[in-house]
Amino acid sequence: MVDKLESESSRKEASAGLIQYSPENLVPFGPIHPALKEPEYFKLVLEGERIIEVIPRIGYAHRGIERAAQERPWLQNIFLFERICGICSFAHSLAYTQTVESLTEFEVPRRARYIRTIIAELERIHSHLLWLGLVGYWTGFDTLFMWIWRDREHVLDPVEAITGNRVHKSYATLTGVRRDLPENIGTSISKEIEYIEDRVKFYKELVSTEETLVSRTKGVGRVNRNTARKLCPVGPLLRCTGIARDIRVEDPYAAYDEVQPDVQTSNDGDIASLMALRLDEISDSCRIVTEAMEKIPSGPVKLTIPRLIPAGEGMGHVEAPRGELFYYVKSAGHKTPERVKIRTPTLANVLTAMEMLKGQTLADVPVVLTGMDPCFGCMDRIAVFEVDKQKQWTIGGDELRQYGINWYKKEGGR
Amino acid sequence: MIETQVLEILLFPGLTFFVWIAFVFEWLERKTAARMQGRYGPVVAGPRGILQPVADFLKLTLKEEIIPEYADRFVFSLGPPLFFAAPAIGVIFIPVFGLQSIVYDDLDLLFVLFILAFSALMAIMLGYASGGRWSTIAIGRLALQYTSYEIPLIVAVVTPAVLAQSLSIQGIVAAQQPYWFILLAPLSFIAFIIAALAELEKPPFDIPSAKTEIVGGWLTEYSGRPLAYIKITKNLSYAFLSALAVSLFLGGPLGPVLTTNQLLQDVLYLIYFLVKLFAVGFLIFAIRTALARVRIGQAARFFWTLLTPLALVQLGLVIVLR
Repeated sequence: MVDKLESESSRKEASAGLIQYSPENLVPFGPIHPALKEPEYFKLVLEGERIIEVIPRIGYAHRGIERAAQERPWLQNIFLFERICGICSFAHSLAYTQTVESLTEFEVPRRARYIRTIIAELERIHSHLLWLGLVGYWTGFDTLFMWIWRDREHVLDPVEAITGNRVHKSYATLTGVRRDLPENIGTSISKEIEYIEDRVKFYKELVSTEETLVSRTKGVGRVNRNTARKLCPVGPLLRCTGIARDIRVEDPYAAYDEVQPDVQTSNDGDIASLMALRLDEISDSCRIVTEAMEKIPSGPVKLTIPRLIPAGEGMGHVEAPRGELFYYVKSAGHKTPERVKIRTPTLANVLTAMEMLKGQTLADVPVVLTGMDPCFGCMDRIAVFEVDKQKQWTIGGDELRQYGINWYKKEGGR
Repeated sequence: MIETQVLEILLFPGLTFFVWIAFVFEWLERKTAARMQGRYGPVVAGPRGILQPVADFLKLTLKEEIIPEYADRFVFSLGPPLFFAAPAIGVIFIPVFGLQSIVYDDLDLLFVLFILAFSALMAIMLGYASGGRWSTIAIGRLALQYTSYEIPLIVAVVTPAVLAQSLSIQGIVAAQQPYWFILLAPLSFIAFIIAALAELEKPPFDIPSAKTEIVGGWLTEYSGRPLAYIKITKNLSYAFLSALAVSLFLGGPLGPVLTTNQLLQDVLYLIYFLVKLFAVGFLIFAIRTALARVRIGQAARFFWTLLTPLALVQLGLVIVLR
């Protein structure tokens, strides 16, 4: 049966005129590969070292979270959605709580909105630093990787001081945030922000002058503005083509109407400009955090949390570090949501990344593929299988083993 | 007499000595890289983790060996010892303890050049024998890289031979009595070190074993003892090439003569040699830590358009001015 699935999907690909390839020039990039932190499968069709086609197969990290959300109370879901992604966990909980809040009549206290802004921006700094470090790793520049990740600790420290956790912050709650800021956090935040700004200046110079790094990133994975308009990427991948779009400005949430971000753009659309753009965004986030800390009003940080959410449909989006994160929530007035649908930035970006890969060399795959800062765990909301409806889709251990043996025999060990 | 020579080859200052140096080199490389990157590096095995490479080697020898079904079994199993043999034979031509090398021949430099080429050939055969897809890609890269760095490497090795009018390493060392050849042929030394980086697959030329691109490179399918021997061979080549650089450009064990006692003076020579050896080793891993990996096309262009002319210019200057 599995054979049938495989042959059927291959036939469909062939009949759609997508790509002609032979096993000789097909290289499987993933699902397990040192450059990928999460399982995802990309078939690369190579001609020597040059890539002529990329066929993504998504769905390897599908965890059934949207279904699980329908079983849990409104409040517990916050912690579930945070687990979609470790790096932008606050963006997920923020998008979810804002969407649910839009179904109710609660007004989020102003102080809570400021605190949400601060945490979201600290998270953006840490996420961008993480990606920049990984660029070092992907290009074989381990020293850059280690340095940037060491500096990233300086952002995680205030995050831990405020929320109690470094990664899964469990901080946002319906109608506000769970705790007020600790006392005297202002001085430690401003100290760390100053340090980060200092380091960002250094890295800005480094990524534009270090010869080997420039030769690996300049002009690599270029995407032009028209392609970007067609394929609709989000976040830095869109802004690096010079299109200034940012949910924080277009549809201000939290305290972004009072502390306004400067939307950063760059024009080259290659990996080098993505690096420069993300560094600029870190500087801007540092400014936002400082400004929000100065302007923050006093008052309560949350209201009484409702157990039941009125029936209705809500939509919400935030600018996560990787781009627009979209939530749709439907409530039937019960203790649990009726349906939650999530569209993460990675899913919006994956097609653009495939486009960027074409024509590059195999050596560029890690850095280009991950230029969108992918989070496959976020992306895999659905797993598509070509299933004959009458048959049950289960494979026993023996059947799977036999399938593997047959496959290898057929492919002649390639 | 022959028994002492066999012992010298096998124990000191031959194979065993250099294998231990290779272990120390790996430890130093990991430790320095870690310190430059703000980490600790190995700390568990032995004082400051100095036994970590030994522990890794022993652990690998105890692990299961998996031979892929589609591998060429003959080359797959016989290759690693042969690969190991190349630098293991090479080290006996290096004068370490005193000014004499263990084995001496008028033309041993040519043999050393053969060993360097043989080493690359063995890597190519090992990669192809394993039959994996990533190995095949890596071998394509390795072969291209080999054709790029081999010419500057040979030209850089020939320059000291021209200066010394000798084709034996021992003779080249003896000819450096007043001036080390690094002073007379600095460009050759630079070319040698850069080509050595490519030969050893260190960044920025770790293209055939770039893990984020092609998984394990040409070692992908190896496990257990073959992997252990390939890894120790890489470290031994590292020590061997550094020793070659010391012998050809830094005067080998030459240094001030402080005593008339022959044995004591030999120990002094050994100390001079080790100091220079670790200085060259340190130079290599400092470069390695400070740079990103380049693409294979960029590497080939660099070697053909910059390094080869550089080495040739130095050789021409040496021939004209000598």
